[in-house]
Amino acid sequence: MKLTLLVQLSWRNLWRHRRRTVILLTTICVAVGSVLVLNALLRGMQMSMVETAIDNLNGHFKVLAPGYLDDPGITKSFELEPSGIPGLSAEGIRGWAPRVRVPAVIRSERETRGVQFVGIVPGSEDISFLGDVDVDGEYLSGPDDRRILLGHALAEQLETGVGRRVVLITQGADGGNRESGYRVAGVYDAVGTGIEKAFVFTGLATVQDLLSVDAVTEVSVRLTEEARGPSVLGDLTNTFDGLDVRTWQDLEPQAAMMHEMADATVSIWFLIVMGALIFGLVNTLVTAVMERIRELGMLRAIGMRRGAVIAQVVIESMITMVIGISTGVVLGLLGFAWLAEGIDLSAFAEGLELTGLRPELVPQLWAQDVFLVVVLSLVLGFLASIYPAHRAVRVQPLDAMRR
Amino acid sequence: MNKTLSCLAAGLLFLSAAAADAEDLTAEELVSGALDLMRGATSYVEFTMKIKRPDWERSTSIVSWSQGREDTLIRFTAPAKDAGNALLKVGDNMWTYTPRLNRTIRLPFSMRAQSWGGSDFSYNDLSRSDQVLRHYDLAIVDSKQDGEHAIYTIEAVPHENAPVVWGKEIWVLRDDYVMLEQVFYDQLQVALKRMTTLEIGSMGGRTLATRMRMERLDEPDHWTEVITDSAEFDIDLPERMFTLFTLKEAT
Repeated sequence: MKLTLLVQLSWRNLWRHRRRTVILLTTICVAVGSVLVLNALLRGMQMSMVETAIDNLNGHFKVLAPGYLDDPGITKSFELEPSGIPGLSAEGIRGWAPRVRVPAVIRSERETRGVQFVGIVPGSEDISFLGDVDVDGEYLSGPDDRRILLGHALAEQLETGVGRRVVLITQGADGGNRESGYRVAGVYDAVGTGIEKAFVFTGLATVQDLLSVDAVTEVSVRLTEEARGPSVLGDLTNTFDGLDVRTWQDLEPQAAMMHEMADATVSIWFLIVMGALIFGLVNTLVTAVMERIRELGMLRAIGMRRGAVIAQVVIESMITMVIGISTGVVLGLLGFAWLAEGIDLSAFAEGLELTGLRPELVPQLWAQDVFLVVVLSLVLGFLASIYPAHRAVRVQPLDAMRR
Repeated sequence: MNKTLSCLAAGLLFLSAAAADAEDLTAEELVSGALDLMRGATSYVEFTMKIKRPDWERSTSIVSWSQGREDTLIRFTAPAKDAGNALLKVGDNMWTYTPRLNRTIRLPFSMRAQSWGGSDFSYNDLSRSDQVLRHYDLAIVDSKQDGEHAIYTIEAVPHENAPVVWGKEIWVLRDDYVMLEQVFYDQLQVALKRMTTLEIGSMGGRTLATRMRMERLDEPDHWTEVITDSAEFDIDLPERMFTLFTLKEAT
């Protein structure tokens, strides 16, 4: 039997019960659309978390002295060759930044707080959040800058501000206390107050001078693209023999876990929605088949092959799915376009900070997600038609026509 | 030639001596004199500390030993609740001892801005010693004659990189090194804390401020008074006075 004839038959069958078909199509459309929008939101969240984790002075990779993570301090440091590091000129690296980061205590006239005192090379920090951070006052001018950069929230706690002096106290390599006064060059506004309260920045040479060392405690490396990871990681491990090379997943296990969870959530949500939908589809198809028992019996009696009967039901299901999915994708794209500018979550900023999310959620629609949804829906549509088709071929022409 | 030079040198010496006489004392001399007056080469002081808050006040008895500008041992003797609590400072290090816990704790720098024994003094205030001479630029900004004494007002401005949070301090000293007033300013030149001498007396052969009050200027009714009951200076102290062993030992 000709395929066009079968398609024609299925198409007409579909529109015999216009209302039922429209309701089914609407269901599929809404399901596919909502899955796509939710995917986009989840991807946006996931990427924002990854960005934050990498921006948060981690980079894709970080080179540390062994034991630094367990007991951070200047004793766990290493020296960099001033000529530059051969492994760090490799392809695929967007930038790298050496730092000295030590736990310290900061004091103003009125308050005392514990912080991380970080010596940076300001020009290299375009790989971290410092690259595009808002600074009230001045940014550090270079690694020799003797002034400091404070977070906004910290400045408020300390009741200090731009141009005033604070005292930083930390521990030198000999275990003795080192303290010095520093003038506040600028106050930065980071995404979370957590960062603002944690990090106090100054020039790399300034911290080295305070601690009387030439060493650094970490080197962050940022990739041009995630895919370069494995080869760069290999290079780094070779270059920094004897040191710890950590990935951002090691350094921010919580963010890494959320990242993996987002992947799983996308699939789980898809299965729940489509699973529920498939039962509706099966139900409709079975009903349609039962309604047509006499007709199917007649068709069999006048010589329609079993294969053609099965094909007819399957085609009916596939037509429904194709229409439903295509309108669903359109709906999803519309929803995505509507949200594309981002959702302002700043009202919940404090809670979001814990998860490393930015207060603005910008959805990301990935072609691979759309593709996956479309293909999987079609596969499910096909699977859903097997049982009704089976029912249809089981119809005995004699029984059917005697009804 | 030689003769001329030595004449010149002698003349200069004479001139500078005369100048010192006329100017009396430099700011540095006044401040180090004030520090030494309170401590002597060694000292033993018994005093009462009164802490006043808007809704309560209490009084504690304290004894302290000091040696040079760096070593101090302070111990509470009353009331019974506080008796035995002690603080030892040797060089840059500080330890506290709490008999009820039977523990000695080395005070980290991070805790030194905290109040000591609930008073208006921080651990830093206790350990200041010669900080003022090392980290501040001192200048006499005012002097006046009050009866038989000259009174100097000294402005102490911390060096740019000094580990000092204050914007400046104003010290008012008498020419016999008795400190009359000390005011701490923040960097906007707002006065935050003030120590005032309320009584001057003679003790241990010296003329001293015997009642001093440290008050918070941003909160009313917040002050701590230190009343010296007796003092002895330049006494012999056992060598093991400023050790962790003595810190724990209630004497």
